[in-house]
Amino acid sequence: MRGSAFIWKRIVFAVVTVFVALTLNFILFRVLPGGPVSQISRVPNASPALKQALTAQFGLDKPLWEQYLLYLQQTLQGNFGVSYMNRQPVFDNLVEAFGNTIPMVATGTILALTLGVVVGVISAVRRGSMTDHLSTNIAVLFYAFPTQFLGMMLLIIFAGALPSAGMNDPFAMGGSGWDSFLDTLKHMILPVTTLALTLYAENALIVRSAMLETLGEDYILTAKAKGVPRRRLIRAHALRNAMLPIVTMVAMSLGAVVTGSIIIEVIFSWPGIGRALYTAVLKRDYPMLQGGFLAITVVVITFNLIADLIYYKLDPRITT
Amino acid sequence: MSSAFAIQDLNIWFGANTGSGRAEFHVVKNVSLELAPGERLGLVGESGSGKTTTILAAMGLLPANAEVSGRILLDGTDILRSGEASVAPHRWKDIAMVFQGAMSAFNPVRTIGWQIAEAMQMHGVARGVAMTRRIGELLELVGIPADHAARFPHQLSGGMRQRAMIAMALACEPKVLLADEPTTALDVMVQDQVMKLLVRLSKELNLALVLVTHDLAIVAQSCHRAAVMLKGEVVEQGEVGDLYHRPKHEYTRKLFEATPDVFSTPGAPIRTSPVSTKTEPASPLLEVRDISVSYPRVRSLRDVMRGVELDVPSAVENVSLHVDRGEMVALVGQSGSGKTTTLQAILGMVKARSGSIHLNGRDVTGLTSGQWRPLRRQVQMIYQDPYESLDLRYRVRSTVEEPLRVHGIGLTIKERDSLIHAALERVGLTPVERYLNRFPHELSGGQRQRVAIASAIVLKPELLLADEPVSMLDVSVRAGVLELLDELRTDARMGILMITHDLSTAAHYADRIAVMHQGRIVEEGPAAAVVRSPKADYTRALLASIPHPDPNRSTLADLSA
Amino acid sequence: MTLSLPGAATPEAETRLGFWPVLNDVLHQPAALAGLAIVTVFVLLGIISPLIEPYSVREATCAVFEPPSWQHWFGCDDGGIDVFSLVLRGGRISMIVGATATLIAIGIGATVGILSGYFGGWVDTVLMRITDYFLVIPQIVLMIVIAAVWGPSLSHVIIVIGALMWTSTARLIRAQVKSLRERVYVKRVEALGASHLHIIIRHILPQIGPLLVANTVLAITVAIFNETALAFLGLSDPTAITWGTIMEHAFDRAAVSSGAWWAIVPAGVAVAVLIMGCYMLGRSIEDGLNPRLKVSYLSLHGWKLRPLVGRGPDAI
Repeated sequence: MRGSAFIWKRIVFAVVTVFVALTLNFILFRVLPGGPVSQISRVPNASPALKQALTAQFGLDKPLWEQYLLYLQQTLQGNFGVSYMNRQPVFDNLVEAFGNTIPMVATGTILALTLGVVVGVISAVRRGSMTDHLSTNIAVLFYAFPTQFLGMMLLIIFAGALPSAGMNDPFAMGGSGWDSFLDTLKHMILPVTTLALTLYAENALIVRSAMLETLGEDYILTAKAKGVPRRRLIRAHALRNAMLPIVTMVAMSLGAVVTGSIIIEVIFSWPGIGRALYTAVLKRDYPMLQGGFLAITVVVITFNLIADLIYYKLDPRITT
Repeated sequence: MSSAFAIQDLNIWFGANTGSGRAEFHVVKNVSLELAPGERLGLVGESGSGKTTTILAAMGLLPANAEVSGRILLDGTDILRSGEASVAPHRWKDIAMVFQGAMSAFNPVRTIGWQIAEAMQMHGVARGVAMTRRIGELLELVGIPADHAARFPHQLSGGMRQRAMIAMALACEPKVLLADEPTTALDVMVQDQVMKLLVRLSKELNLALVLVTHDLAIVAQSCHRAAVMLKGEVVEQGEVGDLYHRPKHEYTRKLFEATPDVFSTPGAPIRTSPVSTKTEPASPLLEVRDISVSYPRVRSLRDVMRGVELDVPSAVENVSLHVDRGEMVALVGQSGSGKTTTLQAILGMVKARSGSIHLNGRDVTGLTSGQWRPLRRQVQMIYQDPYESLDLRYRVRSTVEEPLRVHGIGLTIKERDSLIHAALERVGLTPVERYLNRFPHELSGGQRQRVAIASAIVLKPELLLADEPVSMLDVSVRAGVLELLDELRTDARMGILMITHDLSTAAHYADRIAVMHQGRIVEEGPAAAVVRSPKADYTRALLASIPHPDPNRSTLADLSA
Repeated sequence: MTLSLPGAATPEAETRLGFWPVLNDVLHQPAALAGLAIVTVFVLLGIISPLIEPYSVREATCAVFEPPSWQHWFGCDDGGIDVFSLVLRGGRISMIVGATATLIAIGIGATVGILSGYFGGWVDTVLMRITDYFLVIPQIVLMIVIAAVWGPSLSHVIIVIGALMWTSTARLIRAQVKSLRERVYVKRVEALGASHLHIIIRHILPQIGPLLVANTVLAITVAIFNETALAFLGLSDPTAITWGTIMEHAFDRAAVSSGAWWAIVPAGVAVAVLIMGCYMLGRSIEDGLNPRLKVSYLSLHGWKLRPLVGRGPDAI
């Protein structure tokens, strides 16, 4: 099959990257100066039994290399240690946090992608027109606003009109499942809007310049000569080819999604992974911090892998 | 004669924003052409003569800064009359075009079949099963197996892509076909096949064909009539035979004179080997013995992502060559024959797997790049494309001075200046002061190539390696550059090894010719002998595919019909 | 391009290569000029800010969350400190942080990119693998972890941003150098006998100069963004005054629920305007360098018909 070598290469790369991240994590927290204070067993107010269990699981009394192997083993089994804060396994905390984050970030990202592609394509095909200038400048403006600024402005403007904190109204207990779902949706409006606005801008600018580049290719002229009408020219020829750089660049901007969602969760008190990380920093909850770092890294690496596979699907020229 | 296609009084202006407001360039001036059904017309001219612009206007494909006046008649109807609106319905349906670079003219992410189908769908010519069948027929018509419809452009060879391009142009059964340099990037044997195909199709389908090209020989062999363009004007138009035998315009005559003709090497061979009176002991300037070079065939993922073509130089097997002082040896072969690799190996840029290379009797085979550096004074290289081989930010003076600085020659500015002057004078850029402070973009192609040669000979090398030194230049300036090389050979007694794909050029200027094919030298000998009585089959095939500028000496196709 | 339309190849188009011509060309565009003007004004304000700050940035000079007035143009923050003075001072430090981190990042990125692109082979493989890893690991999270382990301080912020931000520069420069390396004139100079250093300094660096400038200007936007993000998450030096900490402070002290927008808006708008300026300038240079943007086969207007008689000197 074409490019099975390519797919394997990317998968191996992803696995190795996860491994690098694991190692980096270990070095940061256990080897570098400052490491000892972040000892995994120093759970405040922990029972001696728990401390002993952690010491045994992670071999904290053993030499560093043995600790490393144990750490790998435990991590792969999903044991990230115990949170200093609520003394629950970090893994369980992470699962819950991710469950809250995904709907919000996914909605925001999909909105941003859709809006970005539409605005970017329109700007590019109407290059130099009023529409282009207007939409490009607006995109630059939103690109330039720091996420926290945009979030706080929305908070101030819509204070009262829309729920501004958390996922659910704490006083609306006892409603039916449907009511609570609607309530969550309402709570999602502001954070999703903030995320979508900050991300759309970058996407629109990326799509615009990728489209402009393809519009200068000779095959566009060929298609035009064949009598391909404008709309089809844009869709079937220009955008189809522009998708290649777009996929790459959108994958590279995944970091911005992560940054944006952390800040947004903090501003809107959304009980997701970003807020968990933030709280972990504030409370010096090192096991949570490690676990969160690993978890986000794995997610980003996975999405990068998906982007690679999409690229492969889109570009028939890839064989190795 | 009723005309199928005619251009009447076509004028084209391009507007451009320059530093000081808007300027206007009148790039096509009063051009008129006429073709009967089944007739083939060559539109000949050098780069910038307006020939491509002319046919783009006929397709209505000019950019937005163009203004057009005149008439384009298709079966007597003026399709230009309402601008884009009146051209659009005829585009591809009645008048189709074969673009120059088939690689970039095909959409890289769609199959050939998809792209041909699109042309038919757009004009409602065929659909469904009938369309699939028609795609297969079209591909077979141009000599491509029908199942190749499922292939992507990058999966076809250059010649195949150009054929597929022709198939796509024929999809809607046009009456007129405009071909823009359809064979320029192709090797001479593939070029020959593609031209034969175009001629055959024009006959079978009664197509009026306009062939835009800079190559007079191709026109002579494939067209009935030709129009010669110069600076936007048609300076002469007529039967190809008349143009060849009785050119009326000075420029036409110059063009034919500059077109190399391998067959009309009158009388004695162009060169007899002048190195018979050797006084020094027989240690040739360059001696290559049995070298082999191989490359691993890999292309990195990033190259793929950037769409870089797989352009791995081919391997070289047991190549032996020698060049003496005052001798010019031509290494002839098609792309991929290994001739560039051989040159690279001689320069020490790629490592030879086996064999040896001696320079002035010294073994340079395994030298490191550090060891090579001082030796580079003795061997200099001239490159194919003078637009590419000069750093555009360097003035002529700095370009020629750089080798001196690199090798620490000439301590004072004055000393260096005199060397620079001498080199520029040598290459014919006189008066030198006029050129010293120019940038490459202020020079013509021929002048640029002369600057590149000056910067090579300022080091007074003994051996010059020339990689297709004239193939990117306009026909009319080629001879000048080749004459210059010839003078360097005779006056400065430099040894010259010239790579070329063009047997005619080789036959005219080289003492000896070595023909390369698939990494091996298949034939070597005195130039005249190789051209007159080729021994290798490959050389014979190569010779047979060279178009002849004399229309009566048909090599390409039979025009008796 | 295989099709060279005379309209695309105006005499001017060919000359725009190398550093100054490109810059000169770019600076004729309104967007680039506006960007340059913004950046210049901000840098000047940053330099003279200690001289023009109307009030102290450490001591209270007015009431808590006092709204804007003639005395205090941008109002006051939760500690009664003049916001206008704060934003001026914060800009100075934010810009220093952004510029320093950017210089580190560009330095690493350009070096890695040039080595990788120029020498290729195993050098390229190793360096690009490393770059790929850095690219995939979510930087902000790593920054959070590092800042959390090492403790918050401005120099940590600079180092962390600089050391994690170089990857895109390295990739961009590598691609550029790699293609320059294959250019015939570089090959020619190599065949002349020039050393690698000579080629890199005399022929490669001047070519990538404008791109490097554009990249630096664009990287500053990312650096300043990251600074505000880190500061917002409480990972910057809490005593330092930067645009990031000003916004963080305001959020922390419930400026939002008090409706004290003036504690947030000036710093946020300042960041936005500076970033817009950098973006417009950087993008204009980058676009000016991209020959592929000069041709479009899909223009809004088509070619025009010129009437046969009576217009212009060339009319028939």
